[in-house]
Amino acid sequence: MIPLSSFPPAAADKMFISAEPLDIVALLAGAHHPKAGALVLFSGEVRSNSLGKEVDCLEYEAYIPMAVKMIRQILEEAHAKWSLQLAIARHRVGRLSVGESAVVVITAAAHRGEAYAANRFIIDKIKHEAPIWKCEYFADGTKEWGGNCNCHKVTGDPQKHIYESIPSDIPSHTMRT
Amino acid sequence: MKIQVFAALKDHFDREFEVNGAVNNMEALRSRLREMNPACSAMLDSCRFAVHDEFIDNDFKLQENDTVIILPPSSGG
Repeated sequence: MIPLSSFPPAAADKMFISAEPLDIVALLAGAHHPKAGALVLFSGEVRSNSLGKEVDCLEYEAYIPMAVKMIRQILEEAHAKWSLQLAIARHRVGRLSVGESAVVVITAAAHRGEAYAANRFIIDKIKHEAPIWKCEYFADGTKEWGGNCNCHKVTGDPQKHIYESIPSDIPSHTMRT
Repeated sequence: MKIQVFAALKDHFDREFEVNGAVNNMEALRSRLREMNPACSAMLDSCRFAVHDEFIDNDFKLQENDTVIILPPSSGG
């Protein structure tokens, strides 16, 4: 059997880390805001193939105390950079099947520019920085721990990351729908 | 001191173990772990280290009763 290596999150942490399947519809239903003209929902989902092999299932493990703290900080940072009405991020831990959602990020803002940019920023930061790891189990019986963040190979420092989204290139005051 | 490892490191070390003797900073600990498991050298170079749920750098003075958390590169999302 595949060991379930992450311990179940405490109640206060469940806002950010969930051992239960992510209920995207419920999260979306709770994310509407009267001042938000734009809502962006991102769901990172389990693909059926990776590295040219058929994926059986994934397991996500987190160091929950720091993952919770860092996701909270990332959301606060996004709130400060863009004038968001709302920012939600929840990551799954445990074993996931193909098609399940591993992470959901919802951002709501007055206009779509801010909502898209903030959403991209949040998911990038979570993927690179939060202590959460994926192990892929393949149909051929092999497994592989994921390495989404290989930035250290370029930067030479495990603390220095390269992001796909560069928020400083998109000044929020220029973005209006 | 106590060491806790996660993800791919668990394939090479116990999830929790102890390191004894003079290990005063992060690089000294990294060297000790490399000696214990030379196959992990490159992986250890890419890891972040934390004490009391805060990342540490090499200036942080490790104490005998510290618990050091070793975090491989993130692969969430």
